[in-house]
Amino acid sequence: MARFKSLTLFMITALVLAACGGAPAAPANPQAGQASQSAAANTAANESPEASAAAEGDASASASPEPQPISAGPLKDVPRDRTLVLGWGITSPIGVTNPWAIPGYTHQEGNAFMWEPLSYFGIFSDKEIPWLAESMEYTKDDFTALQIKLREGAAWSDGTPVTSKDVVFTFQGQMNNEKLPYHAQFEQFVKDVKAVDEQTIDVTFKMPAPRFKFEVLTLKFDTGIPIVPAHALEKQEDVNAYAGGVEIPHSGPYNLVSWDKNQKIFDLRPDWWAVKAGVMEQPAAERIIVVNIAGQSMDTVAQRIVNNEMDSALDMRSAVIGNIISQNPKVTTHTGNEAPYGYLDWWPNSLWVNTQIEPYNQVPVRRAISLAVDRDKIDEIIYEGANISTIYPFPLYPGLQEFVDKPEVQALVEKYQPSKHDIEESARLMQEAGFTKNGDDLWEKDGQTVNATISGFEGIHSDIVPVLVEMLRQAGFDAAIDFSPSAYQNMAEGNPGLYMFGHGASLKDPYAALELYHSRHSASVGTTAGNNRFSRYANPEYDKLLDAMAPLSEDDPTFQENAVKALEIYWRDQIDIPVIQWLHRIPYNQTYWTNWPTQENVALGTNGAFWAHTGLLVVTNLKPAQ
Amino acid sequence: MSIKKVLQRLGFLLLVIWAASTITFFIPRLSSRNPIRERFAELARTGGFSPADLEIIIAAYSAKFGIDRPLLEQYASYMGSIARFDLGISLHKYPKTVWELIMEALPWTIGLLLVTTILSFVIGNLLGAVAAWPRSPGWLRAFATPFVLLQGVPPVLLGVLLLFFIGFRLKLLPLGGAYSIGRVPQWDWPSFLDLLKHQILPAVSLIFGSMGAWVLSMRGMGVTIQGEDYVNFAEHKGLSGYTIFKDYYLRNALLPQVTGFALALGTVFTSAIVAEQIFSLPGVGSVLNDAIRANDFMVIYGIVLFITITVASLMVLVELIYPLLDPRIRH
Amino acid sequence: MATIAFPQPEVRQPSRATLVLRYLRRNKSLSVGLLILLFLVAFTVIGLLTINPKEAYPLAVRAKQPPSVTYPFGTDFFGRNLYAAMVIGMWQTALIGVLAGGLGTLIGVVLGFTSAYFGGILDATVKGICQILTPIPIFLIQVVIAGSIDRRSVTIYTMALIVVLLAWMGPTLVIRSQVLSMKERQFVSVAKLSGVGDMGIIFGEILPNLLPFIAASFVTQVFVSVYASFYLAVVGLGPLREPLLGNIIWGAQLQGAFFNGWWWWPITPAVAMVLILGSLALVNMGLDELANPRVRRSE
Repeated sequence: MARFKSLTLFMITALVLAACGGAPAAPANPQAGQASQSAAANTAANESPEASAAAEGDASASASPEPQPISAGPLKDVPRDRTLVLGWGITSPIGVTNPWAIPGYTHQEGNAFMWEPLSYFGIFSDKEIPWLAESMEYTKDDFTALQIKLREGAAWSDGTPVTSKDVVFTFQGQMNNEKLPYHAQFEQFVKDVKAVDEQTIDVTFKMPAPRFKFEVLTLKFDTGIPIVPAHALEKQEDVNAYAGGVEIPHSGPYNLVSWDKNQKIFDLRPDWWAVKAGVMEQPAAERIIVVNIAGQSMDTVAQRIVNNEMDSALDMRSAVIGNIISQNPKVTTHTGNEAPYGYLDWWPNSLWVNTQIEPYNQVPVRRAISLAVDRDKIDEIIYEGANISTIYPFPLYPGLQEFVDKPEVQALVEKYQPSKHDIEESARLMQEAGFTKNGDDLWEKDGQTVNATISGFEGIHSDIVPVLVEMLRQAGFDAAIDFSPSAYQNMAEGNPGLYMFGHGASLKDPYAALELYHSRHSASVGTTAGNNRFSRYANPEYDKLLDAMAPLSEDDPTFQENAVKALEIYWRDQIDIPVIQWLHRIPYNQTYWTNWPTQENVALGTNGAFWAHTGLLVVTNLKPAQ
Repeated sequence: MSIKKVLQRLGFLLLVIWAASTITFFIPRLSSRNPIRERFAELARTGGFSPADLEIIIAAYSAKFGIDRPLLEQYASYMGSIARFDLGISLHKYPKTVWELIMEALPWTIGLLLVTTILSFVIGNLLGAVAAWPRSPGWLRAFATPFVLLQGVPPVLLGVLLLFFIGFRLKLLPLGGAYSIGRVPQWDWPSFLDLLKHQILPAVSLIFGSMGAWVLSMRGMGVTIQGEDYVNFAEHKGLSGYTIFKDYYLRNALLPQVTGFALALGTVFTSAIVAEQIFSLPGVGSVLNDAIRANDFMVIYGIVLFITITVASLMVLVELIYPLLDPRIRH
Repeated sequence: MATIAFPQPEVRQPSRATLVLRYLRRNKSLSVGLLILLFLVAFTVIGLLTINPKEAYPLAVRAKQPPSVTYPFGTDFFGRNLYAAMVIGMWQTALIGVLAGGLGTLIGVVLGFTSAYFGGILDATVKGICQILTPIPIFLIQVVIAGSIDRRSVTIYTMALIVVLLAWMGPTLVIRSQVLSMKERQFVSVAKLSGVGDMGIIFGEILPNLLPFIAASFVTQVFVSVYASFYLAVVGLGPLREPLLGNIIWGAQLQGAFFNGWWWWPITPAVAMVLILGSLALVNMGLDELANPRVRRSE
């Protein structure tokens, strides 16, 4: 309460002064002010009592995040040129750093700098990056057993070594705790986890699991699991309610030192195991500030990058990033100073529909919607001519590019023409399906127009969705925009309408993307369909192809053959309407930091997504400019 | 002032609280949206849940928050918790309570709103009074007219334009936020200056956005009072213009404005929501913004209720102390 | 015989129009306000006759063009002709304002009259409800409502309804207090004594005398409605496809219009909004003077 009163008083005094003639002699430049601040000495008053209370290792379920901003004590001084400033919308509750705190935890927002996996994956080098595990090998040819060997010397931030006990604890937690995100996969596949010795773990599977190592145990993009500290979490009565705060032991190089509504501050710890083990050099960024840009306009974020206040931020529309680069030549992007200024994400967007309900259960209607979309025009007006629109449900990463270049696939493209734009053909299909134009020039059947309301997300779809709505409207579909928070619910529950959403699935081979249309995901309408599985498509012929692929590795000829057949069904039945590849346009400001991952500088092969699981590799490889 | 009167006003206060909580309870529930599902959907987008897990988790949390129970039962328990000053738990920032969220944000909002409202009240009323006072110089009286137009400028527009010209183009003041990146505010001089700098633009846009109304209503009030006998009498007595202005005219014209002040504190919350968004300030407005976006209705109605109670209490308070200010009114 | 030409007496009663004009010259805020309003109406009407309404919607014209002879206000990111968008947007804004303002005033007049005239429990109830609802932050409730309904059913008309839902208390209280004071006047008592019925008194005696107040409260309601619907649209809760002024600013902000140098995109609707609200405020003040003779005296 004392803090509350003093803060209020502080604000009032500040404002009275602000109103009476502006700021007297405020430092002209925020960095200068920050650097000259030698306040570390007199901040004892700022120590949050809540933080220290929580630090006593309160094991009760009521160990909720602190109501007040948390801090680990007085901050030391770090100059701007050793500080990395990243812009990101922070929405998780203050103080949640425990990966098992559900709901509330996210690896984004900087928490990825604290946690590490057995292995990372470098998407652009198409290579595994062994991390806590020295190796992970399937020990049986049918992919039913896996052996993990841990690296010597890996340790938690409190000095305890990372051992097989932690890995077993992590896996068993996922198997037994149904609130954890990978519970279903563990339950489906894993029979048993055993520690052989301090560094070796044996995993046995209930069925062939050729992709388990990659999908679950390897961190890449936003998927996979990190290893959590057994010795800290077993003390907790309810691991899902334990926030973690500043005190939870972690293996990553950064400690959370302060977190309030505006920012999260992480400081480098001097004793990261990876440096001692010779895996990495000591990272140069002594402090990482994740600035909360939630609710800030794109203008403001862009200008702050131009002003060198921030080093990077997500995620810019095409025009904005072009203007950032022209206003500040020190800023670069994945593709340098050339369009499209970004890298290919694994999230190509389609207009999804629920294929179980009228009228989207009719292939001609779905095809008519696709014919109404003018993909060239999308490239022209939204992406300034860059070739972004797509006909595939997966990103064309090296392995997948190779797949679509096969003559069989190209013959299918020729046959089905998935990118065709033809309003007359669209109209013909609709008429054949029994629709007539009503007084508003919209297709109608039994007094019902085609509900083509597009559910999407304001922050990322505000450029494309209005354009799609207009295209559909011109072709006679009753289109509207829905950016409300219920958009995702519409998708998950299969409500009438179109859903703009990506396919975060395939990275190396088409299996994961094609598997999204397996009938095991076609739950009845009104229950939740999983992320990316909104079609509710059900076709035994299709399932058979996929089931045959499941136990095979991707270089098996049957796998390839079936993949082509499945892709043919995808286009033939127009399961969803592919629209655009997804690009992440991230500005990299090189005023203070260089060696960002780009097209030219592939390095470990990670993308520049500092918020993703591989963000730790991005920030620890940065080099200071001076 | 009788005890009966006081009790009557307190009864009124209770009615207001009841009405506000009932409205805020029912409206979000009329829609088919399920905030718990939405929250998990958002997590699923980044965390990779499988659908089976999602249904189990959603059912578990629906039970926990009681949104699977019949509406009337929910209403009864909601009213019960209101009576205990328990505003519930945030769905989106679980496990934080609504009360914690409000308290965390309140200092920022009180600081900004109180100061700007008082300043705009003082400046606006002085300008309005001067504008209506027949002995003011002509240019001063003409000064009021632009404020009518200013009333037509929503603070949101003013804020965006100020930010664009002063923040973006001239680079004189920060582009938003409550303090500079990397600063953890403390009781020291640099923190203080930093904070100050970040509050200038929001304060200016709020003051100008709300001042017009004061100028106009005060001007109207002032004109009315000129006709009153006591002002004529004072003039005929030969008192100095300043004395008449201060003691007879300003004082009397200001009285009804005080009631308006209490009400205005309620409406400025609206401006604060927008201002806090434009300038990315922490505060009750931005908490509310987040909540609206996430359909975190526990937080939404917690804050609506909080604002309503604050405003209603202020109104009642003003009404009760009004006789002390204006001797003509005796209850 | 000399004919004596008497000068014609100059005391001829000036015509009604002259009187109105003279009054308008005295009441500057009313005349300036009306003038701006007239200009806006002319702009909209002429515009509606000359533009192609399709150009107010996306993909109609070349995108991102600065103001020029072809596109006087430029075009936006989505390929709307902002001139056409302004015309349609202005028309839609007027529609919301007049609908919501009219409805709110109507409710106010009916409730105010009945409760004040008949008094008793009815009056106590109406007054009580109005007073209880007044401290509730209406905008927030509107946001909650607008956010709760199905996006497909958000139209210009639902916007007007949402706005009016909680905006009738003001006019009710104003009209009620006026009727209360009017009821005690002599002419009402005289009418009552001479056997005129309730309806006759309400419509024959009181209503005509209250017309200036009703007009003033109508203008206030239009102002409030336009303002509220603008806010809802600016935060993205309006009918997103329509070129409503608030929607256009919302879109401009999301695409970083200022940063990208497309200043005309947000500025045009902003200026239009300021003109609309400013003129309404001026007219409102002018009507206040008309309705309230004391204020009139000082001019």
